Amino acid sequence: MDFTGLSNAEQAHINKLVEKRQFQGFLTMYGKLVEKCFNTCCNDFTSKSLSSKEEQCVNNCAEKFMKHSERVSARFAEMNAEIMSGQKNMSG
Amino acid sequence: MSSLFGGGGSSSSGGLNPERVEMALTEMDTVTDLFNRMVSSCQNKCIARYAEADLSKGEAVCIDRCVSKYHEVYGKVGDKLKVRGEQKS
Repeated sequence: MDFTGLSNAEQAHINKLVEKRQFQGFLTMYGKLVEKCFNTCCNDFTSKSLSSKEEQCVNNCAEKFMKHSERVSARFAEMNAEIMSGQKNMSG
Repeated sequence: MSSLFGGGGSSSSGGLNPERVEMALTEMDTVTDLFNRMVSSCQNKCIARYAEADLSKGEAVCIDRCVSKYHEVYGKVGDKLKVRGEQKS
């Protein structure tokens, strides 16, 4: 993504909107993660509270997801960097 | 990625061009959406169990390959859509 072609006023405006969207994105991700971990881990409804097995599973689920997300993020950034430098070489 | 939407014209005036802002935000949303779908798809493809908190070696390798393939598919589908669009006009 290349925001360098924009004026200062536009950059400032965009930064505010980007921040808001990132926050919304975070909240959406949170909701989806809760759903995923719940569906994966909680299958025993003989009690109101989480069993220790379920609690461990939820911990693992959340941590694993975060590590997974970080890894995808790293690879994604690498791919994008390759693509960007490829594009610059073509247009320059 | 910015080639999808074309350039926006000159920049150094201090004004605020809503169209350019809109384009930049659309591009950001597109990339964010791509990323989120990639995370979700690769999680479904690569991570089967939550017995441990760490990624296993197999899962890590799977994720790397998944990201690479996803990107390739993204490119190929984009090319097909571009060709389709050109044919129609």
